[in-house]
Amino acid sequence: MLLDLAQWLAKDYHAFNVFNYITLRAVLAAMTALLISFLFGPMLIRWLTLKKIGQSVRDDGPQTHLVKSGTPTMGGALILIAVALSTLLWSDLSNRFVWIVLIVTLGFGGIGWVDDWRKVVHRNPKGLPARTKFFWQSLLGLIAAVYIVFSISAPNNDKVIGLFLQWVGSGFTLELPLKADLIVPFFKNVAYPLGLFGFILLSYCAIVGSSNAVNLTDGLDGLAIMPTVMVGAALGIFAYVAGNAVYSKYLLLPYIPGAGELTVFCGALAGAGLGFLWFNAYPAEVFMGDVGALSLGAALGAVAVIVRQEIVLFIMGGVFVAETVSVMLQVGWFKYTKKRYGVGQRILRMAPLHHHFEQSGWKETQVVVRFWIITIMLVLFGLSTLKIR
Amino acid sequence: MKNLGNRGMLALGETHVWAGGPHVMATPNADMRFWIITIMLVLFGLSTLKIR
Repeated sequence: MLLDLAQWLAKDYHAFNVFNYITLRAVLAAMTALLISFLFGPMLIRWLTLKKIGQSVRDDGPQTHLVKSGTPTMGGALILIAVALSTLLWSDLSNRFVWIVLIVTLGFGGIGWVDDWRKVVHRNPKGLPARTKFFWQSLLGLIAAVYIVFSISAPNNDKVIGLFLQWVGSGFTLELPLKADLIVPFFKNVAYPLGLFGFILLSYCAIVGSSNAVNLTDGLDGLAIMPTVMVGAALGIFAYVAGNAVYSKYLLLPYIPGAGELTVFCGALAGAGLGFLWFNAYPAEVFMGDVGALSLGAALGAVAVIVRQEIVLFIMGGVFVAETVSVMLQVGWFKYTKKRYGVGQRILRMAPLHHHFEQSGWKETQVVVRFWIITIMLVLFGLSTLKIR
Repeated sequence: MKNLGNRGMLALGETHVWAGGPHVMATPNADMRFWIITIMLVLFGLSTLKIR
């Protein structure tokens, strides 16, 4: 929005041309989102408290968490407001990637909102039934995946529709350009040809999987938000490179025209996340709830798919992956042993993984900060794939 | 001070109400907020690379 204004003003005052730079707008988007979080955070917490929108704590979880009961939740709405407002202010609104990522983020946020609302306001402990939640996540994820597969291969929306019709006309056998292949980090000339259905499946898994992974990680104060900020910021760098013809050629990455604008979105995400952490730092005054966790995860997945860095997302989001795998193993092993031996056995003291460490004697803040340190290392490792290949 | 129930704080510097009674901001909370301020300052410093 402000970009249009700056471009209009630049006709008379050349200084306004500085707003054409994506990097500057990304920094400004981060600052704006941070400011919005600081301004609206206390108001939202006050409102949530007045409305008694407080978190209920699972009674089978760590006993030390019972004190958290009643802490305002659904604070993720603050992140969504900050990200959306800041992105709308600073990004190029004619860019389709910005819109698809915003729609995915807000869409998943909507699913989380309904779930949280039913749990907290309607006092329905089950919230949205798991199947219904998964259905809506899948529907949104699939629509986004189908749009992205064509949009990264075509320069504008008219050509996206043209390509789609061409694909249907070819009897669904149309080959996609190379940039739709799965990019394998650390190798110059290795890219796995996914095919159109493979791409859609991978994108769907990245968006829906990442959304649920962040949701599982969101169990301790500040645990989910900081890795999200770090991974989001790193993906912003990948987006900048992928959207720049010179840098992408130099670093041997696929050139995706328009993807650079996602740097602004990632800047807003990082700023909003830091602003939220201000209130979510231990002892948290507000939790993000599903409205925040589902949407942030989906946003990371969508950006990673567009900039063609699914494997790098898997590496950088290692904490999210480990948390998810811990739940899958715990539940799977419990069910298997119960069926086989009649008594369910556990691998971990408690799942997800962060509770296991708490049960092992780590303090909550120790778990949180150590998981952050691991994420910093993983993000640096992921960023190294930019050059080392 | 505004009472927000048994848990809640309005903004930086305001008294914290925490399970049983009011007291000032808990240490980890202050720690992390200082980290956030440092991150912002580092980002601001890094932005001088490009913005000149």
